Amino acid sequence: MNLKILWMYHDLMDLYGDKGNAEVLRRRAEKRGITVTLDTCTIGEKVNIDDYDLFFMGGGADREQNLIYDDLLSRKDSILEAMAHGTAFLLICGGYQLFGRYYRDQDGNIVKGLEIFDYYTEATDRSNRCIGNIAIEACIDGDTFMAVGFENHGGQTKGVTTPLGKVLSGHGNMYRSESEGFMNEQVLATYMHGPLLPKNPKIADAILKRALKKRYGEVTLEPLDDTLENCARDVMLKRLNCL
Amino acid sequence: MDLRLKAVQLFHSILAKAGRGGSLPGSLALKMDPSFIQKFHMPDQVVLVTGTNGKTTTSNLIAESLRESGKKVLNNRRGDNLNVGIATLLAAGSDSSYHVLADACVIEVDELTLYRQFENLHPTHLVITNFFRDQLDRAGEMETIIRKIQEVTKDFTGHIILNGDDPNSLRIADTATKAKIHLFSVGRNSVSQDTTDEASEGKFCPRCGHPLKYEYYQYSHIGRFHCEKDGFGTIEPDVYVSDCDYENGTFTAEGRKYHSFINSIYAIYNCASVITLMKSMHLDPSAADHVFETFEMKEGRNEVFHFSCDSIINLVKNPTGTNEVLKAILSSDEEKNVCILLNDNDQDGHDVSWIWDAHFERLDVPEVKHIICSGLRAYDMALRLKYEGLEDRITVIEDVQKAIEWLDEAQMKSYVIATYTALHSTRAIMRKQEKKHI
Repeated sequence: MNLKILWMYHDLMDLYGDKGNAEVLRRRAEKRGITVTLDTCTIGEKVNIDDYDLFFMGGGADREQNLIYDDLLSRKDSILEAMAHGTAFLLICGGYQLFGRYYRDQDGNIVKGLEIFDYYTEATDRSNRCIGNIAIEACIDGDTFMAVGFENHGGQTKGVTTPLGKVLSGHGNMYRSESEGFMNEQVLATYMHGPLLPKNPKIADAILKRALKKRYGEVTLEPLDDTLENCARDVMLKRLNCL
Repeated sequence: MDLRLKAVQLFHSILAKAGRGGSLPGSLALKMDPSFIQKFHMPDQVVLVTGTNGKTTTSNLIAESLRESGKKVLNNRRGDNLNVGIATLLAAGSDSSYHVLADACVIEVDELTLYRQFENLHPTHLVITNFFRDQLDRAGEMETIIRKIQEVTKDFTGHIILNGDDPNSLRIADTATKAKIHLFSVGRNSVSQDTTDEASEGKFCPRCGHPLKYEYYQYSHIGRFHCEKDGFGTIEPDVYVSDCDYENGTFTAEGRKYHSFINSIYAIYNCASVITLMKSMHLDPSAADHVFETFEMKEGRNEVFHFSCDSIINLVKNPTGTNEVLKAILSSDEEKNVCILLNDNDQDGHDVSWIWDAHFERLDVPEVKHIICSGLRAYDMALRLKYEGLEDRITVIEDVQKAIEWLDEAQMKSYVIATYTALHSTRAIMRKQEKKHI
């Protein structure tokens, strides 16, 4: 089997070690004997998103996010085409926000999103910034488990009807909210950095399965030794009184 | 006479006699009077030193160089660079009516504290070392820091000393239009490279967003750059360093040969900023050379402990500093063990994701035999290395004492890398371990 990953704006949207996610996906696939093509794409580069099994986009600082904005919007048709053909999506923070209807900044300026999903994001004042360690109970493709990460966002994302999980400790989509992220059958979007995947191998494997589904249908991934991963996760779960 | 000030000064001298430094007196002073810092009559020359990396070293080099030039200098040499540390420093260095008793103050100021205290400290000179991606949850995005510093310097009429090879620092020159700007730059040398995998910030022109073109990189995004569209970065430096000789530890500036306190490119940049400042003050910069040559880095910067084999500890705070420490560790081809202590307390930053921005994969060389991961987030560090394919060489020993004992018993040269809150406790453990060999 072969897995083709497209890492969008790798040079701009890589704020909180999000590149670790790409590394984890690659290594976990390779350990199962799956060959991996990991391509990057930045502003102005031509790419056919539909050629890929997985679309990954991380978060960026405001300045970087403004730089990529026009370029991303110009790719809307290509994104929709890939989505229609079964490409899986992993979107972190800024990537998550930009797939929604809009982002309204602190001064009330509205930045239009890709409008692929109904949720929208509004900036908050400084005192309500969602920052700190977070633990959630995630439910992905029928599997329920605890996941941990670090969140750091001012934007409050509203109108999500199908979140990634339930907040056990931390903020989630909004300041002190109950739900975190957005998910449907193909798209997993979240505010969880850390990076997300090293400490949450179950999420990593769920994403691999979703991506492989595009060309290979339902696949079973042989289990890996996740002792270190689970220890790292449990250190945080214990600290947040979730274990 | 001010009784509150007197009380704070007394508190400080009692602590000092007991061999304790720290910022408690300043903390008390600011609780009694939030505008405490504003009350001081500052000397004619006030140099503030800020930036992401190299603040403590640079401000100590400046203070010593000014002393060498015959000035009486007050400085926070231990790097207590927040409000409370600065309040303590000023109280301890003034008379009972808030007059600072010195010819010059050299104050290292935290990047976030700078914009709050800038006007209160009445600076005449501002030295900015560089701006890198730091602990993001504590410091906010680097962008925010730069903007805030731009705000407080826009009407500043004093001198600003900037790293002309750092696009992030150079932005200050664009907005501080009333200040006298002095730039330093370091020429191509043996560590310079045509391309880099280290730069994370400063890839684009801050004026127009066009990608910056680099003639060479020194480390991270520091190097000679310019924007082909609007010329940002095309500079005429006040001090230009050439002939960096890492074998003999020398470099040339203004036609004079200087000695560097360690053989590294970032040390040369630190020295260049000092020379530029001296020049802007119309002082003979050659007084600084003696300081450069004899300067000893602070505790925890390349500090050697003598176990069965030598063990060397270094502080790391952010990806750029870590990359430089890793380069130093890997510069010799002898066999070695490495111990990484990762904490996530307040001063370390709660977000440990920065370890994914540092180039730990460089440890994947045959000379690195074993890597011990320790500290509060030991397992996060282990995962970082596991996903670089170093799985077979990592061991997690959460307890620092046991980790240090392991290094000693391995009878091999070792390097310890520690985040801020792990540093001093680990040094104490290493000191004890060293005594076992005397």
